[in-house]
Parts: sequence; structure tokens; C-alpha cells
Amino acid sequence: MKKLARCGYVAWSEMRAGLRRPVSWMLWGLLVLTGIPLSIVAGIESGDPSVGGELAYLTSVFAQSKTQSTAALVFGAWFLAMSAGLPVIRDFDLGVLEVLRSTPLTEREYVWGKFAGAVGLFLIFWLLYLGMSAGYFHVVRPFELQPRIGPFSVWNYLFPTLLFALPQVLWLAGVPLLLALLFRRPTVIFVCTGVWFLLSTGFLNPVTEGASDFAVFLDLSGRGWLNRTYLSLDRGVEFYNSAQLVPDPVLLWSRLCIAATGLFAVAVAAQRYLRTMRRGGGVGRKHMKSTAPAATEDALDAADPEPITAPARASRRPLGMTSHPLGFGGAIAAIARSELRDLVRRPGMYVFVPLLVLLALLETSPGQGPFGSAVLITPGVVAATQMTVVSYVICLLLLFYTVESLHKERRRGMHDIFSATPVPTGAILLGKAVGNAAMAAIILGVALLADAVMIVIADALGYSTGFNIVPFAATWGLVLIPAFIFWTALLTLLYSILRGRYSAYGAGLAILFLSFAEGWTSSGTWVTNWSGAGFITWSDMGTFALDGTPLLLNRLLYLSLVPLLFVLAIRLYPRRDLDLAKLVQHFRRRFALAGAARLLALAAPAILLAAILGIGGRRGYQGAAATDWEKDYWRANTANWTDFLMPSVSRVDLDLDFEPRERSVSVRGTYTFLNHRDYAYERLPITAGPWDPIEWTMNGDGHDPGGRARLFVFDLEEPLAPGDSVTIGFSYDVTYLHGMSRRPGGPGQFILESGIVMNDYTLSFVPLPGYVPGIGVDEDNRASPRDYPDDFHEGVTEPRFGWAAVHLHVRTRITVPEHYTANGVGRLVSDEVAAGRRTVVWETEHPVGGFNVIAGRYDVKEGNGTAIYHHPAHRHNVEEMSAALDSARHYFSEWFHPYPWELLKLSEFPAYQGYAQSYETNIVFSEGIGFLTRSTPGTNVAFSVVAHEAAHQWWGNMLEPGEGPGGNILSEGMANYAAMLLHQQIHGDRYRMEFSEDRETTYRLNRRFNVERPLVRTMSGRHVIYDKGAWVMWMLQQEVGRENLLAGLRAFLGKYRENPDHPVLQDMLAVVRDFAPDSAAFDAFTAQWFHDVVLPEYQLRDVAKTREGDEWVVRGTVENVGTGRMRVEVAATAGVRWSDEHEGRSVVSEDYRDARTEVEPGPGESAEFVIRAGFDPERVLVDPDVMVLQQRRYAARFRFED
Amino acid sequence: MLEITDLVKIYPGPVAALQGVSIEVPKGMFGLLGPNGAGKTTLMRIVAGLLEPTSGTVHFNGEDIVADPRLIRRQLGYLPQDFGFYPHLTGESMLRFLLVLKGVQAPGGLKHLAAELLDRVNLSYAAKRKVKGYSGGMRQRLGIAQALAGDPGLLIVDEPTAGLDPEERLRFYRLLAELAEDRTVLLSTHIVEDISVLCPRMAIISNGRFVADTTPSEARGRLAGTIFQGMVERERLAEIDRDFRVTQGILVEGRHRVRIHVPQGGAPPDGFDAAEPTLEDAYLLLAQTNGEGNGSGTSS
Repeated sequence: MKKLARCGYVAWSEMRAGLRRPVSWMLWGLLVLTGIPLSIVAGIESGDPSVGGELAYLTSVFAQSKTQSTAALVFGAWFLAMSAGLPVIRDFDLGVLEVLRSTPLTEREYVWGKFAGAVGLFLIFWLLYLGMSAGYFHVVRPFELQPRIGPFSVWNYLFPTLLFALPQVLWLAGVPLLLALLFRRPTVIFVCTGVWFLLSTGFLNPVTEGASDFAVFLDLSGRGWLNRTYLSLDRGVEFYNSAQLVPDPVLLWSRLCIAATGLFAVAVAAQRYLRTMRRGGGVGRKHMKSTAPAATEDALDAADPEPITAPARASRRPLGMTSHPLGFGGAIAAIARSELRDLVRRPGMYVFVPLLVLLALLETSPGQGPFGSAVLITPGVVAATQMTVVSYVICLLLLFYTVESLHKERRRGMHDIFSATPVPTGAILLGKAVGNAAMAAIILGVALLADAVMIVIADALGYSTGFNIVPFAATWGLVLIPAFIFWTALLTLLYSILRGRYSAYGAGLAILFLSFAEGWTSSGTWVTNWSGAGFITWSDMGTFALDGTPLLLNRLLYLSLVPLLFVLAIRLYPRRDLDLAKLVQHFRRRFALAGAARLLALAAPAILLAAILGIGGRRGYQGAAATDWEKDYWRANTANWTDFLMPSVSRVDLDLDFEPRERSVSVRGTYTFLNHRDYAYERLPITAGPWDPIEWTMNGDGHDPGGRARLFVFDLEEPLAPGDSVTIGFSYDVTYLHGMSRRPGGPGQFILESGIVMNDYTLSFVPLPGYVPGIGVDEDNRASPRDYPDDFHEGVTEPRFGWAAVHLHVRTRITVPEHYTANGVGRLVSDEVAAGRRTVVWETEHPVGGFNVIAGRYDVKEGNGTAIYHHPAHRHNVEEMSAALDSARHYFSEWFHPYPWELLKLSEFPAYQGYAQSYETNIVFSEGIGFLTRSTPGTNVAFSVVAHEAAHQWWGNMLEPGEGPGGNILSEGMANYAAMLLHQQIHGDRYRMEFSEDRETTYRLNRRFNVERPLVRTMSGRHVIYDKGAWVMWMLQQEVGRENLLAGLRAFLGKYRENPDHPVLQDMLAVVRDFAPDSAAFDAFTAQWFHDVVLPEYQLRDVAKTREGDEWVVRGTVENVGTGRMRVEVAATAGVRWSDEHEGRSVVSEDYRDARTEVEPGPGESAEFVIRAGFDPERVLVDPDVMVLQQRRYAARFRFED
Repeated sequence: MLEITDLVKIYPGPVAALQGVSIEVPKGMFGLLGPNGAGKTTLMRIVAGLLEPTSGTVHFNGEDIVADPRLIRRQLGYLPQDFGFYPHLTGESMLRFLLVLKGVQAPGGLKHLAAELLDRVNLSYAAKRKVKGYSGGMRQRLGIAQALAGDPGLLIVDEPTAGLDPEERLRFYRLLAELAEDRTVLLSTHIVEDISVLCPRMAIISNGRFVADTTPSEARGRLAGTIFQGMVERERLAEIDRDFRVTQGILVEGRHRVRIHVPQGGAPPDGFDAAEPTLEDAYLLLAQTNGEGNGSGTSS
């Protein structure tokens, strides 16, 4: 009992001490301030207010588990590292342990007491946080959150704490305690905390369905299990709001082991402590000194000893010392050298550097491109994608090393000796900063070396374009090194102000956390972003053409703050302990008018730069000036013009004179409107941006249109009768993108030296016909989605994209600098160069739906009626892309409709945004898509993306879908279906199956149970539109037969091409039905896949094989635990199915054999099967050829044990 | 010349560590004697420019150290009472690092100088050992070596002999005595022997005030004829303690040998004989009475 009391007293003392530390309250403040928003942001995304119905509660046990598992890790890791690890080190340093040892307190009681104190303190804060969170949701009940707040249940809050938070709290406290007793170095604790923090947060997202038990078992937070079991596949609002979270044995064992490991670490720590003390290792600095020797008996007896006089000078050699205080630079060098020597000796460094390299490499490896593909490991991409992780991780390291460096003299008791030296304070601080910054630079160098090795290896394997130092120098050198210098200066100032390592750590972590949150939410601007995280989207075609100026000013801003921070730090550095009674006087003296003026002078460059960036950003293309007019536009016009239907545009003539260096274009052009409707128009509205002055003409005469807020309304001289035309002309100059950006991040269209890409889809450089509903709309004024009646597709349906109801001809005259190539829609009519300017004319030979312009400095790869315009260095995938474009043109012409245009072009633009867009004859690709896709013979990703975009020439362009539910599936879903067909045609079954399976996985993982609508009702949901859309077309092909479906699609495209009635899915089904051999089966198929939402999920049960004579008989049951009824094959197989490909096509292995049967279990039904095989089956699988879209395909596979 | 004028230091609490002390310290060795908590270290740290006083001034050779502590750092050798070093450095490296910081130069180079300094404090044999392996006495000697570096004009040594064995203490005494010939050495201690063997002048500080500014011989001389020593049984101790100021009481072979102060004209108790006054008698009396014990001190 006494033992328990002593242990409890240690815990209580520790908790009281912790409560007195400002850093504890700082972290608690962070927990409350960010924890509640986190629980809102991290709420389960099931349900959608835009389609009605209930939403998943933020207060359900699932939502709380998700939040708490994350929050306990994010906050617990650092808090517990500080509160469990550092006090023990401090006790060592101060020699307290030796004193404690002389009391009845045992080593075990001390260690367990410290542990209990740290855990207890964290749990107090945790419970306060939970209480405040519950109070916020259930008592305050903010109005906007009310639909997401369920009934109050204590269990919903406490169960996640017990299951997810508590085990990791025990681990996160126990292990630092052990490290503290093993190494007695705070840096080791923080570096190790950083290791498991970063590795554990890595588990938060990637561990998903299908993840191994091992990965789930290792996950400290438990979030991986939660993802795998409940969250990766949407279970629906009702489930999340009412079901109970049931841990499985894997989770229970994992949580138990994590908790036990934490407790075991404490037990080992206690043992270690015992051993240390027995060896006398716990004697602190103060106690290393023996006490003064007692007076001897003789001394006591004697009177005062004889005074000692100096020995004769000759007895001592003169040392000849002189003292000349070091120069400022010399002192900095001396201190920096000492710091560096100290840093390289620290073991944390050797844990940390490999960690950084690992994290950086992991950051590079995940797929970044389309279809989940990886991009090529180019130096620029590697440098840019690693910047965020490298920045934060090294800043974290600098935090610990800088604070420890500034505090180490106090910690070692050397402060007085050190401070009594004549080294200037500035030299001390700068020397330490230089030492730490140099270490950061060395680590950066190691990371660079690792990247270089990786890139060289990847290059040898064909995954890279080769190493080049320039991108690293341009990104890491320009962005990160100034960030590290600024951060070191800021930390120095923080330490000088706060005068304690705990407070400095707390403040530093808080700043890092806020910066990370700012980056995560993309809310940072060029003024506030100091870390460089997320600064650069790399483009080999010209990274700095977009944001070079604000980036440079931003770096100068933070570099210019460095002298100010250091001057303040020097003034406040606690070299001499201040007298508190004179504090006010002290500050008054140091910051007197003259001092303040000097500080102001130091701050002036930063203020000026911040003002330039702030004002420039506000006035630039992302600023208020650029968007204010949009709100006015919406306010002034939405009520009157939203439903106004425009006549068709039948002809566009454009004369565009680009000056990329100025980001400008001089625009002259005309739109000819053809009234294709059966009523007359008296006026025509046209939307134009802030491009004043605009000179307008109507039918060739000058005109002054009316209208408001940039909606120009042309009152026609005579009503535009059906079949009549009117030509509106315009002339103006546009700067696009004008001014500076507010924050890093690329626009979708731009005129830059690195390239030009512009289109008619959004208001950028040419007027748009009519009122544009999306302009000026944000979260505040977004209208509810339009409700379409079931028969909305009957009669004439308006086009989803484009301006032309029927025929649009475009003539584009483009003038660019001589060395640019400029592409527009149609065929090239002329190409002339004069006075350093190139002028090309593109003219459509067949109608198109819209137009775009792309220009850059290209090499060209010409194919068979195709051409690829690419950056000279981006040759890696060009052959494959060219082959895909040729194949697409050839086969899609054969399958769907002959390609009517002369040349199909594909041009590259800088990767400020990663998208591809298909205009008739003129496809544009971001460099990250296709050109830098890591495409191998096994994946053919470059082929896939080209096939998809090329298919849009037919599905999206020739056939322009109608506005309304399901319309976009005719564009995007059909494009993916066409890509599947082309894969099958060119590469064979294997790659089509892999492509299909990838699309299936993407759809399953991203579908939202309650939100998903039948395809004919689908308005949104990328993966339903793209992936399920393609899959359903593929299954429809199996249903009606390939040739029947293609014939139906040809008929469908022929009917609706150049038709003012734009089709949606119902129109397509109506045409294709005529080609189906079995109308009833066709109707049954479309009923469940187009008009309903189903997804089969097959599971194999009771699978067994027996030998009967010469054959093997496999029996089993297929159960459909999902929805929908499909005839599906079941196969017994032996051997590996695919061998090496031959001439780009998949080849079946010679030793592969299978035997098949079919079953058709409906929802909740089971179907027994019997397969007779002339070989010994090794496995059984449902749907061996990937023909039926289904949930959890991996669960419908069975392997016989040997 | 070190001049301290009306120095006051009040810590939060409030605790008055120094209550307006003034003193002039000439060139040579000057001892500052006082019990624990008397304010010695506070005074030393203020003089070393490491602690800001609440009020008062400190001048060294006419330069105001309080206003600009940088002035003293150029000519200061300082051995704090409580200090440490970077544990991972060797003694030699540690010393060389401090020599560099102090801007010390020597004809044979810093390596040679460091070796000489280590030799003077008898640490040559441990020059290549890491400081974390040093005993308390070795660490103290390394501290002394760094304080001597650079031929400082003002040497402040706070409790320098703590942790030194008798032989090393003697060596250190000699070193200090040599150094004190041409500079100001401020020695703070509560060990009377340190003062008596080293300091021609001394001050006694108690409760944040100077209670004496004198010389050891003067302090002893003022007690002539007033110190008596005798052997007493335990039962008499309380009586003796009540009637006289006891300056020493030691148990010797089961009996108590007690030294007492008997004011001039007073009669010692039975069994007590006149004894030669020691500096310790003087210090204890002055510290006990805040300078009023024998009227010999010069209150400051």
C-alpha cells in the first residue's frame, strides 16, 4: 500500500508540475482549437445534403473513433514525448535521482509514478477535450451542424477512447520514458517520436480494404483497421448512425499488444534505471563534486595555517597568454564548428537521416497521374513532390536541435562560464544558427544524394528521364534553404523570449502545426507561407514562368525578416539573468524610440515585401479585384438571364495575337449567331471579362450594348427570326493571368512563356455567349441542383458543353513568337513567319462544338493522321502515345464513326494543373498526364490516357451529350469504355482485364452508398460517371454482343451527331435496344444497371475438390451477398495464366488450364456449382475474365491448400 | 580596482539577496566569506555580468559593468560555484574551445597553451579523457584552468576549493597567490581556511550585507584575550551555550572541546583557558551577530 502511495505521489507531483508548464496548456489549447474542427472535417462522408436525406453523424461511434484515433496520435505523440521523456532527463541532469534514491522511493515506484503522471495529465486534457467536444455538439448545437449531430451517448465518446486512444497513449508515454532512461537525450526522444508519428500518420489513409492483417496490427492509431473494416467502403448513413462498432480479434490483439508494449517499455525502463543507479550512473552534475574535505584533527588543533605566498616567479614558466576578443565572424565560426561537431555525434541524426530519405522516397513513389498511375521519376517531379515532406521534417529537426543547442549550456551547467566569455551574444546565436542550418543543409544534401541514386537506378530501369541537379537547386535551393534560415532565426527568437525549452518546443510545434494546417487547407498565401511546402508545381516546360515573381518576393520577405529576428533575439537572449523588478525599465530602454526606429528600419524591407505581395495578390488574378466583379455579375443578372436560351453559334472568326512574355493577347473576332429555334430574338446577351475597353460591332457596325455587370446585352435592330443570323464583333486586349497570384497553385488556362493553353469552356480570353451560370457562385450562393423530371430527355435537349446546337465552324488566326508552335481546331491553312512572329491559321473543315488554342516550343511526332506536339525532353512515352493515337483514330473510326477531320493533334502544356481536354482535332495534355506517366509494357498507362482522350473526339465532340442526368456518362463513361475496347484490341485480354479491374477498384472505393443514383439519374460522382459508366457499357456489350452493341452505337452516333437534340443515356438505350437480340434480357439488364443501383458481391463457400476417376470435381457454393443478378462464370484453374507478352499482346501460358461453369445467384441467394476438370485444380475464382462489376472481387477467390 | 556601490538584488518572492552592499576591492587577493545563502554567489554573478542587479553600480577600472556587462567579459576569468562542461568533449578540447571563445593567444599556439594550463592544474594525465568521465575534483580543476586562461584582469572564483583534495587545494592556493600579484582576485568561500591562507584582505557577508571589511590578522587581533577553550561534559553544554557565544564545539574522546567568546572583562567558566583566536572564531562571531559580535568589524 505504501508502495502504491509513493508511486501515486510521484504521479501526482508530476501532474502538478505538468499543469504548471505553459506548454501543457498550449497543447491543450491546440487540442481544443483544432480537435473540434478536426472532428468536423474528419467526419464520415456518407450522405449528401445536395440530394436530400440524412447525413452521417459527427457524434456516432464511428465518427468519434475516426477522430479520436487520429487526434490521440497527432497530439499525444508530442505531448507525451515531452511530458513522459523530458522530466526524467531533467531529473538526471539535476542529480535529483541520487537524492530520491536515498529515500524509501524505489526505482520502480519512481519510473511508474512518472509514467502514470504523464499519462494521467494527458488523460485529464483528453477528457476535457472530449467534454468540450460533446458540449459543443450536444449543448451548443451549431445550426449548420445540426443535421450531423445524433443523440448524445457517453459510449460513443468513451468507447473510442478506450479502444483507440488509450492503447496508443500508453505506448506513446512508455516508449519515450524508456528512451529517456536509455539515452538521456531529448533529441533522441523527439527524433524517435517523429519517426513513429510520421510512419503512423502514413497509416491513416493508405491502409484500406484488402490491407494485410500485419499492416493493421502494426498501426499505432487503429485508424487503418477502421478504414479497412468500416470506412474504405461506404456503408451508408443508416449504418454509421445506428450500428455498433465491433472490434475483431486482429484489432483487439493489436490494441492489447500496443498497450502492453507501452507498459513493457515502462517495466524495462524501471529495470534499466535500477541498473543505472546501481552502477552510479545517476549521479548528476552537481553530485559529481564531492563535498569539501573536513578539517583534519591537526588543522583543528592548529591555529590558522600559515599564509601562502606566491612562489618565486622563476618557478613557473610564463605562459605568455594574451587575450584579444574574437572578431564577430571568427566567433561565429568557432561556435558553429562546435555545434556541428556536437550534432554529428548525436545518434538521433543517424536515425533521422534515413527516416527523411525513406519518407521522401515514399512521397515520390505513389501514383500521381491519371488512372491511379505513377509518374516518371523526373528530377523536377521528385524535387517538387518531396518539398513538403522535406520541409516539414527538417523544420521539425531544426526545432529540436536549435532549442537544444540554445539550451544546452544551461542544461549542462555551463551557462555561466560560456556567458562570461567575451564572445558577442550575436555571435553565439548566429554561430549556433549557422551550425544547425549547416546540419540541415547536410541532411538536405544526403536526401539529394539518395534521390540522385534513386533517379539513376530508375533511369536504368526505364522509369526516369535521368538525373539533373538544376530542378533540385531551383526548388530546394531557392525555396527550402531560405525557409530553414528563417525558421532557425524564428526559433532563436522564440527561445530568447520564452527562455525555456518546454515553452520553445510548444511554440515551435504550434507554429509548425498551424503552417501544416494552412498547407493542408490550401489557405496559405504568399505572405503567410514561410515553409515552402506546396510552393512549386514542377514543370519541365518552365516552373517559374507562372509564380516566379511572387515566389521570389516571398523568399526575400522571409529572408529579410531574418536580421530583424536575430536582432530581437540578441536583445532578448537570456545571457544575463534579468531583474524582474526592472523589466519594464529594461524593455523601455531596449525598445526606446531610437531602438524602435532601428527595429522599424530592419522590419521595413519585410513590411514592404509583404505589402507588395499582399496588395499584388489582392489585385492579381486570384485576388478580390478579379472576383468582385463576378459577384456583381451574378447579383445583377442571375434572376433575369439564367433560363435564357441562346441561339446557336454557327461561326467563330478569331484573330489572336499572343505576347507570352507579357501574358497578353490581343483579341479581334466575330461570333455569328444562327437562330436555330422556332422563335425570334430581340436581344442577345454576351458575357465578357474585365477587358475594357472592348469595341463591339454588330453586323460590322460599331455598337454600344447595354446590360449590367459585364453581361453585355445587344438589342437587335430587327428581331432575329428563325433561321436568320447576326454577327457580333469584338476587339480588346487581355492580360491573362494578370498581376500576381495570392497563393501557390496553378490555373487551368494561362498565357505564359512556358506555354499557352486557352479554351472557350470558361471565361478566360474570349466572350461567352449568354449568361454564364457558374460565374460568381461559391458556397454562399450555390443553388440547389436542378431537379429533372423523368421525361426530361424527351423533345430537344440542350447541349451539355459547347455553344453550337448544330454546326460550328471556327477559323483561328494565331500570332505567336517565331519559335512557338500554335495549334487550334481544324486543319492548318497557313503558317507564315515575319519579323520574328509566326502567324498560323487553323480552320475547321467539319463542324465542331468549340475551340481551344495551345502553343509552346515543341518537337513533333507525326503518326498516321495524327501528330503529337511535345516538349523536346519528353520523348519517353511519345512512341506509345503516338501508337495509341493512331490506333484510336483507326479503330474508333471503324467502331463508332469515321473520323471526319484531317489531323488529330495532341499537344503538351506545363503541368501547373494536371488535366487533359479534348477539343475536336486538338487534344491538350498536361505534361504529367501521358508524357510523364510511368508507362511500362505491363501497364500501358500512357496508352490508356491517350485512348480515353482520343475517344472524346467521338464521345463528347462528335456526339455532344445533352444537359441533364446521365449526359456526362455518354462522354466520360463512353471514353473509358472505348479505352477498354482498344486495350482488348491492341493488347489482348490481360491488359483489358487489368484496366477493368483498376476501374472497378476505383469505383468501389469511392462510391458513396447513400448518394449514388442510377446511371440515368447521375449528375455527379466522378467514379460513377467515368468508371461505373464504362463498366456498365462493357457488361452491356456482353449482354447484347460486341458487334450488336457497336452497330447500335454507330446508329446512335449517326442519329445524334449534328442534331440540335442532344442525347442522354435514355436516348442511347432506345437506339441500342433495337440491336439487342433479346429485348427482354436487354430490358432486365438496363433496369438494374441503368435505372437502379446494384452491385453484386460474390463469396465462395464450401469449396472442395475430389478426384473421380480421371477427372477432378470441384464443388462449392457462390453466394451473392450484394445486390443485382448477373450470370457469372466460376472457374477452376491451374498454373499461371499469363506468360510474357508477345509483340505487345498478352499471351496465355502453355501450362495454364481452366474449367468453367456459370451461376446466377440473385441478391442474398446462393448457387451451388460443380466443375469437372481434367487437371488438378489449384484455385477457384468467380468471374475469371473480369466481366461483371462487383464488390470485393478479391473475396471471390479460393486457393486449395497443398 | 573593483568598486561596488549600493548594490541591491531582490529576487521574486521577494527575497532580498543583497541589501545595498558597497565595497572597494583593490588589486590583489580579496576574500569574501559568508555562510550559505548570504549573497556571495549573487554578488559574484553580478560582478561577472551574469545577473542584473535591482539597483546599484559596479565599476571595474572605472568601467560600469552593470550598464554594459560586455566590458567586464574581455578581462574576466570566472569560476562559478556550480558549473559543468560539454560531457562529450575531452578536457583538452573543452579547454581549447573556451580559449578560442575568450580570444586567447599564446606564442606556442592554443594546443600548447591548453597543455600548459592543464599541467598547472595537474590534469595533463586526463587531457584526452572525456569530461563526462571526470571526477568532481578533476572537473573543478578544469574549471580553474579555464578561469586562468587569457591572463584576466579580474579573476572571480566562487567556492574554488570545493571538491579538491588537500594536495590539490595547496597547489591551487599557490596558483592563486601567484596570480593575485598583478590583478584583482575575488575569492568567495565559506571555508575560512581558504581566506586565512590566501587573502590579505577580506569581507564577511551575511544576510545580504557586509558585516566586516578587514584583514585576517586584524580580525583575529580584535579577539585577543576573549577566546577561551575547555573540555566539558555533555550536561554542561546547554549551560555554556546559554551564557557564552560558542565558536566551536567538537566531540573528542567522549568529551566536548568547546571554544567560547568571553567579552573583555568577563570571566570564563571553570575549566576554560585562554586560547589563541583564529579567523574562524572571528568569522563565526561576526556572522552570528551581523557584525556586532566583537565590535571589530566595519559594517558596510
